[in-house]
Amino acid sequence: MEGLATFAGTFGTFLAPTMLFHVAWATLLGIFVGSLPGLTATMGVALLTTLTYTLDRDAAILVLVCMYVGAIYGGSRSAILLNIPGTPASAASSLDGFPLARAGRAGYAMALATAGSALGTLVGILLLVMLAPPLAEAALNFGSFEFFWLAVFGIVISGQLTGGVSPLKGYIAGLLGLMVAMIGSEGIHAHVRFNMGFSQLNGGIGLIPAMVGAFGFAEVLTVMWRAKAKLVIDKNEKDRILPRLTDVWRYKFTIGRSGVIGTLVGIIPGVGEDIGAWASYATAKRISKERDQFGKGSQEGLTAAETGNSAVVPGALIPALTLAVPGSAPAAVLIAALFIHGVRPGPMIMIEQPDFIYSVAVMLVLATLAIAVFGLLLSRVFVLVLRVPREILMPLVFTLCVIGPYALTQRIFEIWVMVVFGVLGFILRQMNYPMAPLVLGIILGTLLDKSLRRGLILSDGSLTPFFTRPISATFAAVIALSIIVSIPACRRWLQAGLSRAFGRKGA
Amino acid sequence: MRFDSARADQITAIVLFALGLAMLIGGYTMDRLEIRQIHPASIPGLLPMILGATMMVCALALFASASGRAERAAGDDRQEGAEASSASWSNLAFAAGYSIVYALVLVGTLPFFAATAIYISVFVIHFTFDPRQSLRGRAVRVALAIGFAVVSAAAVSLLFQEAFLVRLP
Repeated sequence: MEGLATFAGTFGTFLAPTMLFHVAWATLLGIFVGSLPGLTATMGVALLTTLTYTLDRDAAILVLVCMYVGAIYGGSRSAILLNIPGTPASAASSLDGFPLARAGRAGYAMALATAGSALGTLVGILLLVMLAPPLAEAALNFGSFEFFWLAVFGIVISGQLTGGVSPLKGYIAGLLGLMVAMIGSEGIHAHVRFNMGFSQLNGGIGLIPAMVGAFGFAEVLTVMWRAKAKLVIDKNEKDRILPRLTDVWRYKFTIGRSGVIGTLVGIIPGVGEDIGAWASYATAKRISKERDQFGKGSQEGLTAAETGNSAVVPGALIPALTLAVPGSAPAAVLIAALFIHGVRPGPMIMIEQPDFIYSVAVMLVLATLAIAVFGLLLSRVFVLVLRVPREILMPLVFTLCVIGPYALTQRIFEIWVMVVFGVLGFILRQMNYPMAPLVLGIILGTLLDKSLRRGLILSDGSLTPFFTRPISATFAAVIALSIIVSIPACRRWLQAGLSRAFGRKGA
Repeated sequence: MRFDSARADQITAIVLFALGLAMLIGGYTMDRLEIRQIHPASIPGLLPMILGATMMVCALALFASASGRAERAAGDDRQEGAEASSASWSNLAFAAGYSIVYALVLVGTLPFFAATAIYISVFVIHFTFDPRQSLRGRAVRVALAIGFAVVSAAAVSLLFQEAFLVRLP
């Protein structure tokens, strides 16, 4: 309750005309970025971080949050009209959005997506305000042993949930990220590791150039490689472009449930919006009375997917702010941006900057209002954005990929990093390696390294406290179970055992 | 060969195994800072060794699963061309090669504005050039591409130089 009161108090400070102007342009830009296949929220946030360098802290973070919310929402446009999700987060939306568009109801599908996204984000914001402060307080009890397991937990769970059919590829992506984090000066003795003779690597690999490469350059290559998509033009003039309140009310339980599922998925480190959407969609399909319509143009299916992916945004910021462990790839970039602007996310945030979490919640509310207004009023305009030829857009995007990372440190070396990560990111993505664990690995590498060695110093080289302290033991058990379950042979053995046990019980 | 084929996974597994081994050896041979009398459990090479060993295990698992897949898919080559037909390798080669030349050669050699204007104009002309068009049509298209490139390069340069006070390369 106290949190909600502080939240209301913070609201006034963000209603200045300059702030509202930032909300308007950044959200609009975010929707454009999300709408265009190949441009993702992570790339948008990473590129915009380089443009917010000179803004003050609140304005810079506001711009990045609006870009994040706008891009995740904008992905639904191309999912509905092109059957290609603008961002991976909208993959589930295309299942029902595209059939609705083909039936001449593209406008209404976009209206439903807008309502779902806005309400989903609001559910997430409510949970952010309620859960983040106690989580930060609980995290104050974490020591090196717990933070070590938290970092391992993040990589394992992220790898498992984003690896699709092969969690192994998710684990490998996470390991690659951790290996990248090993480059440069380490945090305990300041010893330089793996600089391979390049003094520019002494400071390590910057997250922003790496992300701009892996999500920007890699996507430019992917877009130019693939065949052009065909736009489903909405010619039905009678189609509504505003959602019916009766429909929104009819799906109130779906929206509430998907909002909670999305937020909880967001809290899990490095999992992200796409999993939030799929989890919400699958749950809605299982429970719905009209489940046979799912995949054929179900309004409920589209609402569940859009609510789920948008709710992940506030959810992903909960661990990002309180533990400095990102819930999604864009949240990882946001953490880097927070450091650039002098905010230190982590358990101390409620002590050092107690109002910051509420400021972020206000930013999210403003971004949500902006997507609702723009989404409902500019529906037809966004269709025009999808007509921008890729041949014109992509060289412009790549130009920003080059100059953006350079602008941060004014070193040509950052452009090299961007290019290397772009090529690697493209190859890894085509080989079905998820990018989220890689990002998480780069972010968590330092935490993992410091926590392991600090813990070992504290225990005088003994591993026992890593397994005997209550929170550490719980983390270790969950991680071990997750890895065991991800091994096909073990999973089959467990399933057989469970079915035998239930069979006997039934008999 | 497809990016996600069993053969590609086998090659990747070998590369990853070598990477893991390199990291394991790198971590093991890394300076243990005995001269600074640090705690032996806090040597800088500890985590790299663990990561290297874990990567080697994962690489072996990847190789085993890819070999299993390769055996099951033996003789079924029809799927191999499925993705290739919907994707353009020549487009990819040009976009990748030319973009890398721009980022690593043109930027830094030429002034940023000139490098960017050249990059964008050639990129747009290459991908929008249609030999079936009349000479006049092609000339108009080239002129439009150059105009767009000059305006875009000027806008990006001015934005970073004047608004963000970046000394452009």
